Amino acid sequence: MTILRHKWQVRLVHWITALSIFLLFFTGFGQMPVYKRYMVDQLPGLSWSSNYASTLHLHYYAAMVLIFISTYYLLYLVLTRETDILPRKGDFKETMIIFLSMVGLAREPENNKYLAEQRLAFAVTAFSVAALIITGLIKVLKNLPGSSVPLPVSFWATQVHNIFTVILLVSVVAHLLAFLIKDNRSLFPSMFTGRISLDYARHRHSLWIKGMQSDDELGDK
Amino acid sequence: MSMSRRNFIKRAAIAGLAASVTVSGAAKASAALNSSDEYASIIDLTHCDGCRDVDIPRCVSACRTRNEDRFPQPEKPIQDYWPQTKHEDWSDKQDLTDRLTPYNWTYVQHLQVEHEGQTHAIHVPRRCLHCDNPPCASLCPFGVNEKMPQGPVIINPDGCFGGAKCRDVCPWEIPQRQAGVGLYLKAAPKYAGGGVMYKCDMCYDLIQQGQKPACVSVCPNNALGFGKKDDIRQYALQWARDNQGYLYGETENGGTSTFYLSSVPFAAIHQAIMEQETDGKPGKPGMPVGISNMLNEPAGMAKAFLLAPAAGLLGAGLSVYKIMTGADEHDYSEA
Repeated sequence: MTILRHKWQVRLVHWITALSIFLLFFTGFGQMPVYKRYMVDQLPGLSWSSNYASTLHLHYYAAMVLIFISTYYLLYLVLTRETDILPRKGDFKETMIIFLSMVGLAREPENNKYLAEQRLAFAVTAFSVAALIITGLIKVLKNLPGSSVPLPVSFWATQVHNIFTVILLVSVVAHLLAFLIKDNRSLFPSMFTGRISLDYARHRHSLWIKGMQSDDELGDK
Repeated sequence: MSMSRRNFIKRAAIAGLAASVTVSGAAKASAALNSSDEYASIIDLTHCDGCRDVDIPRCVSACRTRNEDRFPQPEKPIQDYWPQTKHEDWSDKQDLTDRLTPYNWTYVQHLQVEHEGQTHAIHVPRRCLHCDNPPCASLCPFGVNEKMPQGPVIINPDGCFGGAKCRDVCPWEIPQRQAGVGLYLKAAPKYAGGGVMYKCDMCYDLIQQGQKPACVSVCPNNALGFGKKDDIRQYALQWARDNQGYLYGETENGGTSTFYLSSVPFAAIHQAIMEQETDGKPGKPGMPVGISNMLNEPAGMAKAFLLAPAAGLLGAGLSVYKIMTGADEHDYSEA
C-alpha cells in the first residue's frame, strides 16, 4: 500500500526547478571566463560553451523558467497552506539529533511529512533561489541599454549573486549526497510517482501518518 | 483537505495585494535610473597626419607619460594559465607603440586606403571608444568594470582577475592583459585568473577636474576634440552632412562616446586595416561598420521576464483552484 507524498504540482515544481537550476549553473559558470581556459569548449558538442552570447541567452531563458516556477510555487504555498516543508521552531536542534542518529549516536526522532533537516535544507535552498532571482534581475536591469544602475548596487548584486550560487551549489550537492544514506533511498521513486510505501511512512514519518484526519488521504493500493 | 471556492478567492486576494506592493516598489526603483552630462570625443581623420615628423605620435606619447605610474609591474617568474601552456606578458615589450598593450593604451594605425580609384594616406588613432552600453562593463564577472556617468568606461585594476572576458566581448578587443599582477596572485595564480586588463580610461581624473584627456590636449592638428557629448554629436552629424563625410562610433556597438570623422568610407578603412595592420592577435583592432551590441538581444528578452512571474501566478492559481474545489481529488487515489 502506498501513500501520496508529493502532489503532481510539487513534482512538477521540483523537476522544472532542478532542470532550470542545472542550466543556470552551467551557463552561469560560462559567464566566468572558464570554459575556454579549461578547454571545456573542446569537448564534443560543447564548442558553444565559451561563446558568452550563447551562454548568456540560455541563462536568460533558464532564469525565466526558474522565475516562472518559483512564482508558481510561492503562490501554490500561499493558497494551499501546505506548510509541511517550512522550517519550524526547534528544527535546528532536531537536525543535530538526526545527524547524530546517522552515525549511531542518537535515536532518530519521530518525523512529520518532512524531516527537520529537510525543512531547513528547503529554507536554505529557497532563500538562495530568492536571492539569486533578485540579484539576477538587478543584473538584467544593468545590462539594458541606457540603464545606469549605480556601481555599488551592481557590484553588490554581482557579489551576492556569486556567493549564493556557491551556497546553492553546495546545497544541491548535499541534497544529492543524501542518497548515500540507505534510509533515504525509498523516497527517490516518489519524486516521479509521488507515492511512498505506507509501511515506510509509518516507520519514518509517523507523526505525519498520526496527524492524518481520515483514511481518505491514504492511497488505496 | 477540500477547500471552498470562497476560501480560494480570499487567499488569492491576499496574495495579489502583497504582490502588487512588491511590483510597484520595483517600478519606483527602476524609474530612478537615469543620467546625463556625458562627455565625448571627436577623432577627425581628415586632420590627423599621424605625427609623421616624430617617432611616436604625440597623442600616444602623452598617453604613455600620463599613465606610466599605472602601468603593471609584474612579479616574475609568471606562471602559465593552467592547463594551457601560455600566459600574456608584455613587460619586456613596454616600448611597443604600434599596437594596444597593457603599456600602450592608444596607438595610431598608418594606412593606405583605396577609395574610388585613389589611394589615401589615413592615420587612425585607436583606443577604447567608451561605449554607451559597454558589454565589457555589463558582463564583467567581478563587477569591477564600470560605465561612469561622465562617459568613460573604467576597469578597476584592484578588483580585476584578468579573465579577459571584457576583451572577448568587446567588438574591437580593446582591453589588454598583463599576467603576474593583480588580485589573482593572492588566490591560486596557476589555476585561476590571468592578470589585470588595461585600457584607456578617458583620463577620468583629468575630466573630473574639468580638463581634457592628455591625448586631446597635445594634438597639434585639432584632429582630436573633446566636449559635452550632445555638442560633440551635433557637431559630428553636421560635419558629416556638410562634407558628405562618414561617421564611426555613433551607432557602432549601440553608440559610443567617440565620433570618428572621415572623408573615406569606414568600410574601406576597415578593409585596409585587415590587409595592412592586423596580425591575428588582439591589440590591432579593425573598424567593422555597423557592428551591433551583443546585449541588444538580451535586452529584447528582458521584457519576457515580466511574463514569467505572471504565467507562474496564473498557473498556480488554476492548479490550486482545482485542488481546493476538489477537481484534483483523483490524485489522492492514484496508485
